Amino acid sequence: MTYQVKEENNISTVFLNGEIDMDVTDKAKDVILPLIEAGKEVHLNLKDVEYMDSSGISVLIESHQKAIELGTKVTLKEISKSVLKVIMMAKLEQILNLD
Amino acid sequence: MNIKDQKEFPVDSASLKNVRNFARELFNKVSEFENYKEELVLALAEAAQNIVKHAYNGNPSGDVMRVEIQYENKVLTMELFDKGLPVIPENIKPRKLTDIKAGGLGTFFIGQIMDEVVFKTTKEDWVNHLILTKRF
Repeated sequence: MTYQVKEENNISTVFLNGEIDMDVTDKAKDVILPLIEAGKEVHLNLKDVEYMDSSGISVLIESHQKAIELGTKVTLKEISKSVLKVIMMAKLEQILNLD
Repeated sequence: MNIKDQKEFPVDSASLKNVRNFARELFNKVSEFENYKEELVLALAEAAQNIVKHAYNGNPSGDVMRVEIQYENKVLTMELFDKGLPVIPENIKPRKLTDIKAGGLGTFFIGQIMDEVVFKTTKEDWVNHLILTKRF
């Protein structure tokens, strides 16, 4: 997994790339959670994420919950087909903010 | 087309990508899997992840896990073997749909994708033996 972060106004957009599994969840959290903790609105761009398993989904859930707790928001952008399939299998499409 | 292959992988989260690639390479040979390929890869990878995470508590031990994949007579069987802590099938509970948390999601995915999930403890030289089956 690789990533890139772009800042615009008070929104941080994290472009994630590759496969997100148990092996890289700590790396993903290390990128995303500090942005939320800094009070920023976070967009996670998932167009280049080819594979995501339950560990990757756990990062999305944790990010979403942390944002609610701190009064900010995480939105999933340009979700790839394969990731959307997993989100829907987990029945999380009504819980997470999808755009 | 029928397929049959097996491979051993170090019990480590870094192996999960290799487990997926091993399965993808085999699944690419079977036209019936065309629309299910990534789901099947996910089910297998979640089972392998459970070995790393639960049977070994996330600690690489130097042990290996074995993955066997067979497709015959329109039945896909994916078997995983490990020598970690014995699995108590009664203790394995998929997450409830109303729970908004990650725990148990992998087991939930496996149950959604596969037709049958069976734990055995009888295979010699191994502690846990998981059999995932899907009929086409």
